[in-house]
Order: sequence, then structure tokens, then C-alpha cells
Amino acid sequence: MYCQKCQTNPASLHMQQFINGKKVELHLCQECAFKVDNPEMLVSLENIFKGFLDQITAQHFPQNAATPNVTGKTPTPPRAPAKACTRCGMTFHKFKTGGRLGCDVCYKSFKAEVEVLLKNVQGSTRHEGKYPRRMGAGIFNKRQVTELRDKLKKAIEQEDFEDAARLRDEIRALEGAEKEVKV
Amino acid sequence: MKIPWYQEPIIDESEILSSRVRLARNIKKYPFRRKLTTTDAAGMVAEASEAVTMGGNFFRRLDLENFSKTEQTVFLEKHIVSPEFLNGNLPKGLLISDDQNVSVMLNEEDHVRIQSVKPGDNLAQAFETAGHIDDLIEERVEFAFDTEYGYLTACPTNTGTGLRASYMIHLPCLSRADTNLSSHLFSNLAKFGVAIRGIYGEGTAPMGSIYQISNQNTLGKSELDIIAGLQSVTQNVIAQERAEQEKIRKTNLRHLEDIVFRAYGIVTNCRLISAGEAMNLLSDIRLGYITGLLDAPKPQKQIYQIMMEIQPAHLQRTRGEDLDEMQRDIIRADYLREIF
Repeated sequence: MYCQKCQTNPASLHMQQFINGKKVELHLCQECAFKVDNPEMLVSLENIFKGFLDQITAQHFPQNAATPNVTGKTPTPPRAPAKACTRCGMTFHKFKTGGRLGCDVCYKSFKAEVEVLLKNVQGSTRHEGKYPRRMGAGIFNKRQVTELRDKLKKAIEQEDFEDAARLRDEIRALEGAEKEVKV
Repeated sequence: MKIPWYQEPIIDESEILSSRVRLARNIKKYPFRRKLTTTDAAGMVAEASEAVTMGGNFFRRLDLENFSKTEQTVFLEKHIVSPEFLNGNLPKGLLISDDQNVSVMLNEEDHVRIQSVKPGDNLAQAFETAGHIDDLIEERVEFAFDTEYGYLTACPTNTGTGLRASYMIHLPCLSRADTNLSSHLFSNLAKFGVAIRGIYGEGTAPMGSIYQISNQNTLGKSELDIIAGLQSVTQNVIAQERAEQEKIRKTNLRHLEDIVFRAYGIVTNCRLISAGEAMNLLSDIRLGYITGLLDAPKPQKQIYQIMMEIQPAHLQRTRGEDLDEMQRDIIRADYLREIF
């Protein structure tokens, strides 16, 4: 068997992995294995991730898709001017081909696209884990306050005023705590 | 004096060899690697490595340029660095603890990649150590963080916690079993957000039957929930491995003994051996010790450590840089006979 990348040397490294239930195989020679551009796994999520990217773009943002959808009947929608990140100048098209964002602001510049992508790839768009200590209790409170406000809204809708009053007090207490933190 | 994880006897006691945690972080001040200039990269590496080392004498900073290609590949074989990191052309940095169990790659795919490995089933502890280093760095630099999305990473597959938790596990019976069974089992893991992969030699079974099992998603769950999820899925996989082992024992004990003793026979008598063949024989020998079928005295070193030391770059480092394949096979055979 020959190396899948260079097609010249015999493959000496064989890998298989299961990602999203699909078996992915890779056969490489020593030289190419060393060059494979991937962090901790040789066959990466990268290929699958790129597949996702293409699919999502085609579905949700046809104006950004790499190949315009030419059906003959409906005219091809005009391609939107390439949206670029305000901080680093990364375009969505470049992100789509490279699979990597250019900076933290890219997450805001391509918010709509990133949101759909995260929903599909990660199954969620909301961080539930650790937060930097330097951001202090403030950030944690903000998240709690958002959740409590949602609950408060529901309580009011259901005319559960006892609960609503309790939630209102909790929100006040948290907002007070946040001010203290800021000072 | 602490020792590298692969020298701890505990790693030969069960299917789980090691627990590993990786945290991905980026420094807010700088764009991600794709958009990083050489000057900025150098600045970022200097700033981050200062932040890591200011916290104490825990880490040594290694200058990769001072290491030969073979020595760099040894780091790769030990899973301390990634190919992407070694091949990166921008300024980069590697910080490593004395026992080599904790390391920080600067300017890999993300600015900061913290890695912590523990022997055996110790994910929570590995996470605690990595988290401690994370806090330490964060005291001096501001990370790219979003209240909604969490830690922001170059690839959205790492966003949120930036956490990749993984076990290295040895599954000799499952990988020998009917491939349909293992394919079915492994593809089911995806439903639980878990990916499994193996490095294998010739044929269909992973080399040395060693797999890495890790979480796929980094967003939407807390770090501890991700770890707990991976733990429970892994325990299930191990239960399947043991069921398979029990099945072979009951239906064909003589066959199982033959596999184990034949492997021992070859390893103690071979004169030439490739890394791939040796890996698979060592895997069978490990199975022999774990099941108690093999009554020969256990070598001083752990089986996984031996597996690592017979890898090409490891052999070249200790026995000379310019060995060809045949010479390596001779040295490998001599080394195995000496150890067993």
C-alpha cells in the first residue's frame, strides 16, 4: 500500500478513527506522517469540520457558498461582497477554506455563521464551564442574572407572583454584588 | 523526585494507561496564529512564557532550535508536542515540567496549549493541574474570552472550555475480536460525543491495540461534566473489553495462552524485529500479565515504556542518529531480549 499523500513511498503508518460514527482511515509514509498539519490527531476533525462548514454555508448562507447554486430555473443570487473581520481582515471565505478563525473578534464579525456552526459542530452555543478569574464574580453574576430574568419573565407570564417577587430579590442581590465587585 | 507518568507501575495494572487533559487558550492582545506576524509571535511567546515561569520554578523553557531532528521526534513519540507545533515556522516556545508530565506549547494552533498527563485513571487530577497552570498564566495575561462562547479558539471545535480530555487505553481483546463488533461499538461512541482512534501497523488491528478515547465537544458542558461523561463511556468500553476477554477465556483458553506465550517466545528470542511487530507482541505480553496467564517475571520497566523506547526516534537517540531500518531492527531485538 502506498502513502495516501505522496503516492510514492510505501505507507508505514496506518490510522483509523471513529468520528461522528464514521470510520476514517489514513495510510501514510513516515515522511508525510511527520508533515501532517494537525495537532494531536493525524486524521483530524478538520476534514469532517470542513465538510460541515461547506454544508452549513450552502444551507444557511447561500450567498457565501463557494459554488453558487445554478439550477437553470432560478437565477443565481448575486454574491454578497466578502464580509471581513473588523480586527484582522479575515474573510468568511478564507475561514471556510482554511478552517481557522483569525482572531477573537472574528467570532463577532461572523456571529451568525459561527452560531450556526457551533450549534452543528458542538451541539450548543453557550459556555457552561470555567471563566477567567480576572473577570471576577461579575461575569458569573451576569450569566446568572440572565437566567433569573428568563425565569422571572416566565413567572410573570404564569402570574406566579410569589415566585416573581423572590426572583426579583435574587436579581437585585446579584446586581448589587456585581457593583461591589466593580468598585 | 517525581518520575514521568510512563514509569509508574500503576500504568500496567489496568486497561487505562494514562489520563491526559489539554486546555486551549489565546491571548486577547494578539490575533490568532493565522493572522500573527513574526514580530507579534515572538512578543506573544515571550509574554506567555514569562507568565508561565513567573509562577515558580516548575517549568523549564526548552529552545527547540537546540534540539536535533531526532530529539524533536522523541518529544513527538512521547506525545509532548504535536507535528503541527514542530513544523510551525513562526516563533514558538515549549515549557516543560521536570518530570515531563506537564507541558505548555506556545504558538501551536492556539497561543497557549496546556497539557497535563497522569498515570492510570486520573482525569480529574490531570484537569486540576492544567487548571492551576491556566490560572497562573491568566494572572499575567488576558485571555480571549466571551461570556457567551467561553474561551475563544482558532478552530470553533475547541471553543468554550478549550478542553480535550483523553484516556490512553489498551484493548487487546476488542481489537482482536470480530471487526464488526468493534466497529459497531466504536461508531456508537459518537452518540455520546466521544471519539476513539488507534495507531496501527500492518493489517487491521491498531498497533499495540492502544487507543485514544476523547471528548469531541468542548462547548455547552462544564469541564467536570465533560470529564465525567468521558469516564463513564470509557468504563463501558472497558467492560466490553473484559467481556470479550472472558469469552475467549471460556471458549478457547488454549488459544489465548498460545497468543501470550508465543509473543513472549518471540520477544525473548528474536534477532531482528520491526517496531510494528514488536508493538503487537508487547501488547499480547501485557495481556498475559494482566490476565495472570503469563508467569514469567515482569521486566523492570512498564510495558508501555518499552513500547515507547523501541520507536525509531527513541532508538536513534540512544544508539546513534544515522541508523538505517535494518540496524534499528537489530538493536530493537537486542534491547527486547535484554529487558525480558
